[in-house]
Amino acid sequence: MNPLDKPYAQLALALLTVLVLPLFLKSGILATEILIFAMVVAACNLLLGYTGLLSFGQGIFFGIGTYVAGICLTRWQVPVPLVLAGAAVLGAATATLVGWLSIRRQGVYFVMLTLAFSQLFYFVAYTFSGVTGGDNGLLGVPRPSVGGTALNAPWSYYTFVAICFVAVFAVLVMVTQSTFGRTLLAIRENEGRAAAIGFPTRLFKIEAFAISGAVTAFGGALHAMLIGVAPLSNIEYHTSELILIMTIIGGSSSLFGSVLGAGFYLLLADALSTVWPRWLLLLGLVLVTVALFLQRGLWGLVERGYDLVFRRERAPETPAEEH
Amino acid sequence: MIYLFQVLNGIGLGMLYFLLAVGLSVIFGLLQFVNFAHGAFYLLGAYLTYDLTMRGFSFWAAMPLATLIVAGLAALIEAVLLHRIYKLPHTFHILVTVGLALVVQELVIIAWGPLGGSVPAPEGLQGVVILGDFIYPQYRLFTIGFTAVLAGLLWWLLEGTRLGAIVRGGSESPANMALLGYNTLRINTAVFGFGAGLAGLAGALAAPIRGVEPFMGIEALSVAFVVVVIGGMGSYTGALVAGLLVGVVQSVMTTLWPEGARLMIYVGMALVIALMPRGLLGRA
Repeated sequence: MNPLDKPYAQLALALLTVLVLPLFLKSGILATEILIFAMVVAACNLLLGYTGLLSFGQGIFFGIGTYVAGICLTRWQVPVPLVLAGAAVLGAATATLVGWLSIRRQGVYFVMLTLAFSQLFYFVAYTFSGVTGGDNGLLGVPRPSVGGTALNAPWSYYTFVAICFVAVFAVLVMVTQSTFGRTLLAIRENEGRAAAIGFPTRLFKIEAFAISGAVTAFGGALHAMLIGVAPLSNIEYHTSELILIMTIIGGSSSLFGSVLGAGFYLLLADALSTVWPRWLLLLGLVLVTVALFLQRGLWGLVERGYDLVFRRERAPETPAEEH
Repeated sequence: MIYLFQVLNGIGLGMLYFLLAVGLSVIFGLLQFVNFAHGAFYLLGAYLTYDLTMRGFSFWAAMPLATLIVAGLAALIEAVLLHRIYKLPHTFHILVTVGLALVVQELVIIAWGPLGGSVPAPEGLQGVVILGDFIYPQYRLFTIGFTAVLAGLLWWLLEGTRLGAIVRGGSESPANMALLGYNTLRINTAVFGFGAGLAGLAGALAAPIRGVEPFMGIEALSVAFVVVVIGGMGSYTGALVAGLLVGVVQSVMTTLWPEGARLMIYVGMALVIALMPRGLLGRA
C-alpha cells in the first residue's frame, strides 16, 4: 500500500489543503466552494469507491440540504447548528429511501434508477414551488453568526466551513477504516461471498447510502449559506452529474482523491467559464481522456508521482478496479 | 372526450419513448454497454430536422436524412472511440458517454444557439381530423400510425430475420459469433449506429410536436431509463408496454394536474419498483 493511502496521511493532506487554499486563491468564495464540494464528493466516493455503487442521485441529497437551510433560515430563523443537523438527518432519511428502492436492482439498472430518482426529486422541487420557490429558489439565505457577528466576510465563512470540512473528512476516514468500512469493501469486491459469510449486504449498502446522504445534505446546507440562495439548480440532474464527475476525475481509490477532483473541476470551471461560456465542451473531452488514459484518476497520478520520487523500485501496477 | 384526446396523445408520446428505449436496449443487449449519450442522439436528430426544414427541405426529406446522419455519426464514434472501452468497468462507459453527451449538447448550443425553436408540422399534415365533435391534429395521428408500422418492422427485424439472429447471437456469446466467421467488430459498429439512429428518429418525429431546445436530451434519456427499468432491458414487449404506459400516464396527468404531469412518471416508476422490484414483466 502506498503510504499516502494511510488514514493519517489522508487526514494530514486534508488539513494541508485547508491551510494552503487561502495562500493560493484570491477568492474566499471559490475556496469555500471547493471545501464544500470536497466533502460532498468524498461522500459520493464512499458509495463508488468503497461500496461499488455508482450513484447518479447525489444531487437529490445536496438539494435537500440546500432547501432545509433555505426554508429554516429564511422563514423560521432556526439556529444554524440545528439547521445543519436537520439537513444531515433529512439527507440520511431520503438517502435511506432512495437507497432502499434503488438497490432492489443491480448493475446498470441501479445506476438508471438513481438517475430517474434524481429527476423525481427535481420535479418535486419544481412542482411544489410554494415551498421551494420553484425556478427562482429561496432568496436571502443568511450566513451563520458566531458570537453575535455574522460571518459575512468570505474568509471568515471559509474558516467556519473549513472546520466543518475537517470534521466531516475525519469522520469519513474513520468510517472507511472501521469494521463497517472494511465490510463495504468486501461487498464491493464480491457481494455474493460477503452475503455467504453472513453479512446482511443490503443493510450495509443502505447504511452507506444514509451516511453519504447525510454528508451530502450537510454540504448542500453550507452551500446555500455560502451563495445566499437555495436555487432549484442544486437539486437538478446537472448537480448529480457534477458530483459524480468530480468523484471519478479525482479517483475512487482514496478519499483525498475526491478533494483533488472537486478542486480540479471548480478551478477549471472558474478559469474557463469566464473566458468561454461553452467550456463544458472541453470538460466532455477531459472525461473521455480520463476514461482512456487516467483510470485511477488524479489520485492515481499522485501515487505514481510519489513512487517515482520516493521509491527506487517501482511498485507493480495495480490493475484497474472491477465494478 | 378530453380523456380520449389525452390517451391518443399519450400513445403517440409513448411510441416515441418506445423507440428511444428499444435503441438503448439493443445497444445494451449486444454490447453490454450503457449509453448515456442516447439522449444526445435524440437531441441531434431533433436539431438536424429543425435545421434541414429551416433550409427549405421538406420534412419528408429532413426526417430520414436526420436519422441517417445521426446513425452514421454514432457508428463513426463507435468505430473510433467506444470499442476501445468495452472491456473497462461500467463506470468508464458512463464517464465517456456522459462526456460525449456534454460535447454534443455544447456543439448544438454553438451551432444553433441556446434558445431552441419550433418545427412546423409537415406539409399535408398541418390540419386537423374531425370526427363528430372530436378534433385531433393530423400530424399526431400520423406519428401514431407511422411508429406503429415501425414497431412492427422492428419486431420482424429483431425476431424474424437473419440480422436479428446475428444480433441476438452476438449478445449471447460474441466469441462464438467470431468463431462462426462473423466480423463482430463490424456488427458492433452497425448495431450501435442502428440503436442511436432510432434515438435520432424519435427526436426527428418529436420536433414538430414539442419543438427543439438544447436540454431535451437529458429529459429523453431519463424517460428512456424509466421505460427500460420498468419494462426490462433487452425486452421488446417490455419496452412497448412500458413506453405506452409512461406516455399515457404523462398525457392524462397533463389534464388532471398539469404542473405535476412529469413528476407522476417518476412517482409511477418508484411505485412499480417498490411493489415489483423486477419490473412489470418480471424479466432480467
